Amino acid sequence: MKNRFTSFFMSLGSLSGAAKAAAPAVPGRGMVREATLANGMKVIVWPVHDIPNVALYNWVRAGSRNEAPGITGLAHFFEHMMFNGTTRRQPGEFDRLMEAQGGANNAFTSDDVTVYQDWFPHGALDLVFDLESDRVANLAFVPKVIESERGVVSSERRLRVEDNNPGFLGEQVQAAAFVTHPYQFPTIGWPADIQAWQMSDLQKFFKTYYAPNNLTLVLAGDLEPERVFELARKYFEPIPRQVPPSPVSAREPEQLEERVLVVRRKAQTPLLQYAYKAPAAADARAPAVNLLLSILVDGDASRLHRSLVEEKRVAIEVGGHWQEGFDPGLLWLYLTLPEGSDPDEVRELVDAELAAIADNGVTAAELSRAKNLSSAGFWKKLATIDGKAQLLGEYEIFHGDWAKLFDAPAQFETVTREDIHAVAREILDRRRRTVGILLPEPEEEASEEAVLEDLEA
Amino acid sequence: MIGRFFLKMAAATSMMTPRGSGNLLAKAGGGVQVPAHERFVLDNGITLVIVPRRDVPLVAFNAVLRGGALGDPAMKPGVASLVAGLLEKGAGQRDAFAFADAVEGVGGSFSAGASAESISVRGQFLARDQQLMLELLADALLRPSFESEELETLSARHIEMIKAAKDADPSELMSLYARSFLFDDHPYGRPVIGSESSLANITQQDVLDYYAAQFGSDRLTLVFAGDVDSAWLRRMVAKLFGGWRKAATPAPRLAPAARMPGRRVLLIDSPGSVQTHFWIGNVGVDRRYSQRAALDLVNTLYGGRFTSIINTELRIKSGLSYGARSGFTRGTVPGEFAIHSFAETENTRKALELTLQTLDRLKRDGVTAEMLESARAYVLGQYPLNFETAADWAAALGEIELYGLGPEYIDNYGTALRQVDLQDTRRVIDEAFPALDSLAIVLIGDAAKIRDQVKGYGTITDMTLTQPTFEPAPQTLAAA
Repeated sequence: MKNRFTSFFMSLGSLSGAAKAAAPAVPGRGMVREATLANGMKVIVWPVHDIPNVALYNWVRAGSRNEAPGITGLAHFFEHMMFNGTTRRQPGEFDRLMEAQGGANNAFTSDDVTVYQDWFPHGALDLVFDLESDRVANLAFVPKVIESERGVVSSERRLRVEDNNPGFLGEQVQAAAFVTHPYQFPTIGWPADIQAWQMSDLQKFFKTYYAPNNLTLVLAGDLEPERVFELARKYFEPIPRQVPPSPVSAREPEQLEERVLVVRRKAQTPLLQYAYKAPAAADARAPAVNLLLSILVDGDASRLHRSLVEEKRVAIEVGGHWQEGFDPGLLWLYLTLPEGSDPDEVRELVDAELAAIADNGVTAAELSRAKNLSSAGFWKKLATIDGKAQLLGEYEIFHGDWAKLFDAPAQFETVTREDIHAVAREILDRRRRTVGILLPEPEEEASEEAVLEDLEA
Repeated sequence: MIGRFFLKMAAATSMMTPRGSGNLLAKAGGGVQVPAHERFVLDNGITLVIVPRRDVPLVAFNAVLRGGALGDPAMKPGVASLVAGLLEKGAGQRDAFAFADAVEGVGGSFSAGASAESISVRGQFLARDQQLMLELLADALLRPSFESEELETLSARHIEMIKAAKDADPSELMSLYARSFLFDDHPYGRPVIGSESSLANITQQDVLDYYAAQFGSDRLTLVFAGDVDSAWLRRMVAKLFGGWRKAATPAPRLAPAARMPGRRVLLIDSPGSVQTHFWIGNVGVDRRYSQRAALDLVNTLYGGRFTSIINTELRIKSGLSYGARSGFTRGTVPGEFAIHSFAETENTRKALELTLQTLDRLKRDGVTAEMLESARAYVLGQYPLNFETAADWAAALGEIELYGLGPEYIDNYGTALRQVDLQDTRRVIDEAFPALDSLAIVLIGDAAKIRDQVKGYGTITDMTLTQPTFEPAPQTLAAA
């Protein structure tokens, strides 16, 4: 059993050497098995016997991208409702049964997908298949439970958005960045929509998107693939296929001018966020986009961190993120500024850094650093069964084939400085960005008095 | 913080629920066993632990220095945290930029942080870069530059990051307020990261004094896990670290803090907030607590997993909150038991009442046999996931050395879990969980709308979220 793990890492040794060295092959390709059920549901299995556990990811091709005005947040609401009982099981039984056999679970929703995750000892495999298939086949819609869950989601929204300045600004920027594409919707939903969904909205969404032909199941861990396929056929195959969801037809028109929005909130630290239009995940330039982002913000030696946080000290934190989705989306850069700073002055400094990359490209050392950090991150993720299940799923869903995972290091190695320069020129175009600025509200006299009173008390 | 786009990763079921309350292992026959490893003590007192895993051409390290924030001057919390942060901001022949270039240029990682009782430096490099890794680690520990300019940048950043956390998610700071309120003058009450006020007053001399007093061979444990040649590594460690001096002072010793009698309330005003974060707790038990397995099982049931008693009440049944959890912080001496959750401002009292009722029920009725079996399966089942990588083992063995626990802390855990019975759970509920009438209650929210709701819970102490310390008393402001 250990041998498989050993072989998995053998080739890591060849990561050594300069960036020019050939990328190491990723072991494991020959071990991964897949099967497609009669109803169209795909199951992918990576057996790894290092610890007696299993990671399961159930990928649902439904996110806020599949919503419409008036029902925003519905995909995320389902992520909650999927734990709230079926016609066979009471609300809460899913968790109670899974935990009693040693399993834990979680889920997340994005613009593009909703993903359900379970981590459990291998002995619980049968139960987990029973539970996962039951909620796809027999989800219950109980009005009282739906109302209670609206409260939970509202609490989550207060935590992540309403009482959270970065979350609040990000929601506004995302909404302003698109004029037609549903990527403008906040995944958690606009507040009025969270209160407004009707039972019929829920039932329709469920039937369309939680059909087996819209799901992909990925498992990694202490498993025998044939046994997994047997269970998949037993539990999932009887669930009928549905008409595939209609494709998202919205195409965002070319952005012609920079959009800037300013939000005033109770705050001490101003915020600055940039959202550039960026390609879809499956774009051939994806490795170059990721390396560009790494050069900009990954680590203390990255361009923006070094320049803005360490040298000029105009920001306290710099971060970035590329929303790699089915459709062209956003590449984000975000900065937290020290109290009292003028975001406009910082903007000029950031813009100068970005213009320098768009004009002059990056150095060989920067590219080599980014490749080495990306490799390290990739291998670190592959070191756990959770990382394996997640990566297999991401490549299957967003790149069309799990097997592309095994080419990832080679893809990174082929990227040249010219490739980085080209994507920088194209993406870091200020006409195609939305800028969000969060400024502290002007001090009110009343609140100053309150502070003084407290100190005297 | 802004780097994590919460909206994009809206965890449904258990963002607030820890995956496993500690380190528990569960193979069918016995449990997780610490892998074969070697342990040496150098002449100058350095403890060296080597965990060879040759199948993985990566090396993870964990350097643990005993002392941490216990070595901070009482009126200047945050020195240890700044010292840790400065270790990679220039050391040996490298300035801060050259150090970062050396680490990241080969795809390595290197980070240092302080906690209440230690400073830990952790990282991971490809095996082929392990000589560089050792040199960087030795430079950082033995020859840090501590340049005043780097100190200014870092302390200014830390101050602003505290303000940014208040703007983004003040619950990240909750335990700092709560520990200060609960432990008062005991060293566990000091904020490890410092406060806005204390950080502004920390000088280069404070940093140098801390380093002389609290850094040295007798304080250091070095753990390496991964693809290492043990003999080579021993020689290199002897060469690079063998000449290091001892720390100028003995390691700080701690007296246990007393449990807080009665109920007291700290109300931290955040005007306009639409929710109230709350924390309820008291002094709990220490790292060597003999009933650790029973403790973990009861806490799993009370507030350590999704179906826990408090998450069931506050989230699943009432929809009042996105989540509720509880946990024990166990140090050399007892740290705190704490419950944390949040609810819409108008529902503050309702959520607090429900929480107190669950604690009352736990103290009176305990847990059932069925609950115990479920928790046992859960903790055993989740345990192996904590020990998948070399970095996991480097972290675990560093902790074992810091608290002097021995490998049996992990090796015997599965057996201990299997032996817990209902009597044991009753004992820990009586011993470790606070009495209902002795609780510190800390709230962050809109005080004007909360004050009436929390009347009757105990004497209210007020402060504001924008205040530059984590303790309410104005005299500390003046004294700083």
